Amino acid sequence: MDNNVKVARIQANLTQQQLAEKTGVTRQTISLIEKGKYNPTLKLCLEICYAVNKTLDELFWVERESENDEKNY
Amino acid sequence: MMKKITDERLVLKNLKNIRLAFVVQSVGIIGILLHDALANGIASMTHQPLWLVFMITAIVLGYSQMSISIDHENPSKQIKPSSFYKGLSVILGINFVIGLLVYLSPESSLKDSIAIGIALFLCMLAPYSYIHYLRKKKLEDEEDE
Repeated sequence: MDNNVKVARIQANLTQQQLAEKTGVTRQTISLIEKGKYNPTLKLCLEICYAVNKTLDELFWVERESENDEKNY
Repeated sequence: MMKKITDERLVLKNLKNIRLAFVVQSVGIIGILLHDALANGIASMTHQPLWLVFMITAIVLGYSQMSISIDHENPSKQIKPSSFYKGLSVILGINFVIGLLVYLSPESSLKDSIAIGIALFLCMLAPYSYIHYLRKKKLEDEEDE
Protein backbone atom coordinates (compact mmCIF):
# COMPACT_ATOMS: atom_id res chain seq x y z
CA MET A 1 0.00 0.00 0.00
CA ASP A 2 1.12 3.52 -0.84
CA ASN A 3 2.15 5.90 1.90
CA ASN A 4 4.00 9.16 2.50
CA VAL A 5 6.72 7.80 4.75
CA LYS A 6 9.57 8.66 2.37
CA VAL A 7 8.51 12.27 1.96
CA ALA A 8 8.02 12.70 5.70
CA ARG A 9 11.37 11.08 6.44
CA ILE A 10 13.18 13.45 4.07
CA GLN A 11 11.35 16.42 5.56
CA ALA A 12 12.54 15.28 8.99
CA ASN A 13 16.13 15.07 7.66
CA LEU A 14 16.49 11.41 8.44
CA THR A 15 18.14 8.66 6.48
CA GLN A 16 16.47 5.28 6.24
CA GLN A 17 19.05 3.92 8.69
CA GLN A 18 18.34 6.68 11.20
CA LEU A 19 14.59 6.17 10.97
CA ALA A 20 15.12 2.43 11.33
CA GLU A 21 17.15 2.92 14.51
CA LYS A 22 14.56 5.30 15.96
CA THR A 23 11.71 2.84 15.30
CA GLY A 24 13.53 -0.36 16.26
CA VAL A 25 13.50 -2.05 12.87
CA THR A 26 16.04 -2.69 10.11
CA ARG A 27 16.82 -0.31 7.27
CA GLN A 28 15.45 -2.90 4.83
CA THR A 29 12.07 -2.81 6.57
CA ILE A 30 11.92 0.99 6.26
CA SER A 31 12.81 0.68 2.58
CA LEU A 32 10.07 -1.90 2.00
CA ILE A 33 7.52 0.24 3.85
CA GLU A 34 8.40 3.27 1.72
CA LYS A 35 8.03 1.22 -1.45
CA GLY A 36 4.66 -0.05 -0.26
CA LYS A 37 5.86 -3.66 -0.26
CA TYR A 38 5.48 -4.25 3.47
CA ASN A 39 2.48 -3.22 5.60
CA PRO A 40 3.65 -2.31 9.10
CA THR A 41 1.62 -3.06 12.22
CA LEU A 42 -0.22 -0.20 13.88
CA LYS A 43 2.47 -0.08 16.55
CA LEU A 44 5.22 0.43 13.97
CA CYS A 45 3.08 2.96 12.09
CA LEU A 46 2.80 4.99 15.30
CA GLU A 47 6.53 4.71 15.99
CA ILE A 48 7.23 6.07 12.51
CA CYS A 49 4.76 8.90 13.10
CA TYR A 50 6.49 9.85 16.37
CA ALA A 51 9.91 9.72 14.71
CA VAL A 52 8.98 12.03 11.82
CA ASN A 53 6.55 14.13 13.84
CA LYS A 54 3.50 13.50 11.66
CA THR A 55 0.05 12.01 12.24
CA LEU A 56 -1.18 8.61 11.03
CA ASP A 57 -3.47 10.36 8.57
CA GLU A 58 -0.66 12.37 7.05
CA LEU A 59 1.54 9.33 6.55
CA PHE A 60 -0.78 6.43 5.84
CA TRP A 61 -4.24 7.63 4.80
CA VAL A 62 -5.30 6.44 1.35
CA GLU A 63 -8.59 7.39 -0.29
CA ARG A 64 -10.81 4.39 -0.99
CA GLU A 65 -11.06 5.12 -4.74
CA SER A 66 -7.30 5.24 -5.16
CA GLU A 67 -6.99 1.98 -3.20
CA ASN A 68 -9.49 0.31 -5.57
CA ASP A 69 -7.59 1.69 -8.57
CA GLU A 70 -4.44 -0.02 -7.25
CA LYS A 71 -6.27 -3.32 -6.93
CA ASN A 72 -7.67 -3.09 -10.48
CA TYR A 73 -4.20 -2.31 -11.81
CA MET B 1 26.77 -13.51 20.04
CA MET B 2 23.43 -13.50 18.19
CA LYS B 3 21.28 -10.41 18.70
CA LYS B 4 17.61 -10.90 19.52
CA ILE B 5 15.45 -10.07 16.49
CA THR B 6 13.21 -7.11 17.25
CA ASP B 7 12.22 -6.13 13.70
CA GLU B 8 8.57 -7.26 13.29
CA ARG B 9 9.03 -8.12 9.62
CA LEU B 10 11.97 -10.38 10.42
CA VAL B 11 10.10 -11.94 13.35
CA LEU B 12 7.25 -12.85 10.95
CA LYS B 13 9.73 -14.16 8.39
CA ASN B 14 11.38 -16.23 11.11
CA LEU B 15 8.02 -17.74 12.09
CA LYS B 16 7.31 -18.63 8.44
CA ASN B 17 10.74 -20.33 8.23
CA ILE B 18 10.04 -22.28 11.41
CA ARG B 19 6.68 -23.34 9.99
CA LEU B 20 8.35 -24.57 6.81
CA ALA B 21 10.96 -26.48 8.83
CA PHE B 22 8.15 -28.01 10.94
CA VAL B 23 6.33 -29.21 7.82
CA VAL B 24 9.52 -30.77 6.40
CA GLN B 25 10.27 -32.42 9.75
CA SER B 26 6.73 -33.76 10.08
CA VAL B 27 6.78 -35.21 6.57
CA GLY B 28 10.07 -36.89 7.44
CA ILE B 29 8.73 -38.34 10.69
CA ILE B 30 5.56 -39.61 8.99
CA GLY B 31 7.67 -41.11 6.22
CA ILE B 32 9.90 -42.97 8.69
CA LEU B 33 6.91 -44.25 10.68
CA LEU B 34 5.08 -45.40 7.55
CA HIS B 35 8.19 -47.15 6.29
CA ASP B 36 8.58 -48.92 9.63
CA ALA B 37 4.89 -49.90 9.61
CA LEU B 38 5.11 -51.33 6.10
CA ALA B 39 8.40 -53.13 6.73
CA ASN B 40 7.84 -54.44 10.27
CA GLY B 41 4.16 -53.97 11.09
CA ILE B 42 2.06 -51.50 13.07
CA ALA B 43 3.28 -52.85 16.43
CA SER B 44 6.86 -52.03 15.53
CA MET B 45 5.85 -48.53 14.45
CA THR B 46 4.05 -47.76 17.70
CA HIS B 47 7.01 -49.03 19.75
CA GLN B 48 9.37 -46.53 18.18
CA PRO B 49 10.26 -43.45 20.26
CA LEU B 50 9.53 -41.42 17.12
CA TRP B 51 5.89 -42.47 17.49
CA LEU B 52 5.78 -40.84 20.91
CA VAL B 53 7.29 -37.64 19.50
CA PHE B 54 4.71 -37.66 16.70
CA MET B 55 1.81 -38.21 19.09
CA ILE B 56 2.93 -35.48 21.52
CA THR B 57 3.41 -33.05 18.63
CA ALA B 58 -0.05 -33.88 17.23
CA ILE B 59 -1.68 -33.37 20.63
CA VAL B 60 0.09 -30.04 21.23
CA LEU B 61 -0.85 -28.87 17.72
CA GLY B 62 -4.44 -30.01 18.20
CA TYR B 63 -4.87 -28.15 21.47
CA SER B 64 -3.26 -24.96 20.17
CA GLN B 65 -5.43 -25.09 17.03
CA MET B 66 -8.58 -25.32 19.17
CA SER B 67 -8.46 -21.64 20.11
CA ILE B 68 -8.19 -20.75 16.41
CA SER B 69 -11.16 -22.99 15.55
CA ILE B 70 -13.27 -21.38 18.26
CA ASP B 71 -12.45 -17.88 17.00
CA HIS B 72 -13.05 -18.98 13.44
CA GLU B 73 -16.56 -20.31 14.16
CA ASN B 74 -19.36 -18.69 12.19
CA PRO B 75 -20.57 -15.78 14.39
CA SER B 76 -24.14 -16.15 13.08
CA LYS B 77 -24.18 -19.70 14.39
CA GLN B 78 -23.74 -18.38 18.00
CA ILE B 79 -23.11 -21.60 19.88
CA LYS B 80 -23.95 -20.76 23.46
CA PRO B 81 -21.84 -22.91 25.77
CA SER B 82 -24.30 -25.19 27.47
CA SER B 83 -23.86 -26.20 31.08
CA PHE B 84 -20.52 -27.87 31.61
CA TYR B 85 -22.16 -30.68 33.57
CA LYS B 86 -24.56 -31.49 30.73
CA GLY B 87 -21.65 -32.24 28.41
CA LEU B 88 -19.85 -34.03 31.22
CA SER B 89 -22.81 -36.37 31.73
CA VAL B 90 -22.84 -37.15 27.97
CA ILE B 91 -19.13 -38.02 28.14
CA LEU B 92 -19.72 -40.17 31.21
CA GLY B 93 -22.56 -41.95 29.41
CA ILE B 94 -20.41 -42.66 26.36
CA ASN B 95 -17.57 -43.96 28.49
CA PHE B 96 -19.93 -46.13 30.54
CA VAL B 97 -21.22 -47.73 27.33
CA ILE B 98 -17.68 -48.31 26.05
CA GLY B 99 -16.63 -49.74 29.42
CA LEU B 100 -19.64 -52.04 29.36
CA LEU B 101 -18.84 -53.24 25.84
CA VAL B 102 -15.25 -53.97 26.88
CA TYR B 103 -16.51 -55.88 29.94
CA LEU B 104 -18.90 -57.95 27.81
CA SER B 105 -16.18 -58.81 25.31
CA PRO B 106 -14.31 -62.10 25.80
CA GLU B 107 -10.93 -62.09 27.62
CA SER B 108 -11.69 -58.79 29.34
CA SER B 109 -12.10 -58.42 33.08
CA LEU B 110 -13.93 -55.79 35.12
CA LYS B 111 -10.56 -54.25 35.93
CA ASP B 112 -9.79 -53.82 32.21
CA SER B 113 -13.14 -52.21 31.44
CA ILE B 114 -12.84 -49.77 34.37
CA ALA B 115 -9.27 -48.86 33.37
CA ILE B 116 -10.27 -48.27 29.74
CA GLY B 117 -13.37 -46.31 30.79
CA ILE B 118 -11.38 -44.03 33.09
CA ALA B 119 -8.61 -43.52 30.51
CA LEU B 120 -11.09 -42.64 27.78
CA PHE B 121 -13.00 -40.36 30.15
CA LEU B 122 -9.85 -38.40 30.95
CA CYS B 123 -8.92 -38.22 27.26
CA MET B 124 -12.35 -36.79 26.43
CA LEU B 125 -12.58 -34.55 29.49
CA ALA B 126 -9.42 -32.55 28.72
CA PRO B 127 -10.38 -31.27 25.24
CA TYR B 128 -14.03 -30.83 26.21
CA SER B 129 -13.07 -28.72 29.25
CA TYR B 130 -10.66 -26.66 27.17
CA ILE B 131 -13.20 -26.01 24.39
CA HIS B 132 -15.85 -25.09 26.96
CA TYR B 133 -13.43 -22.65 28.60
CA LEU B 134 -12.53 -21.07 25.23
CA ARG B 135 -16.19 -20.70 24.16
CA LYS B 136 -17.13 -19.19 27.53
CA LYS B 137 -14.19 -16.76 27.32
CA LYS B 138 -15.19 -15.76 23.77
CA LEU B 139 -18.77 -15.13 24.89
CA GLU B 140 -17.57 -13.02 27.83
CA ASP B 141 -15.33 -10.98 25.50
CA GLU B 142 -18.26 -10.36 23.15
CA GLU B 143 -20.51 -9.33 26.03
CA ASP B 144 -17.89 -6.83 27.17
CA GLU B 145 -18.04 -4.93 23.83
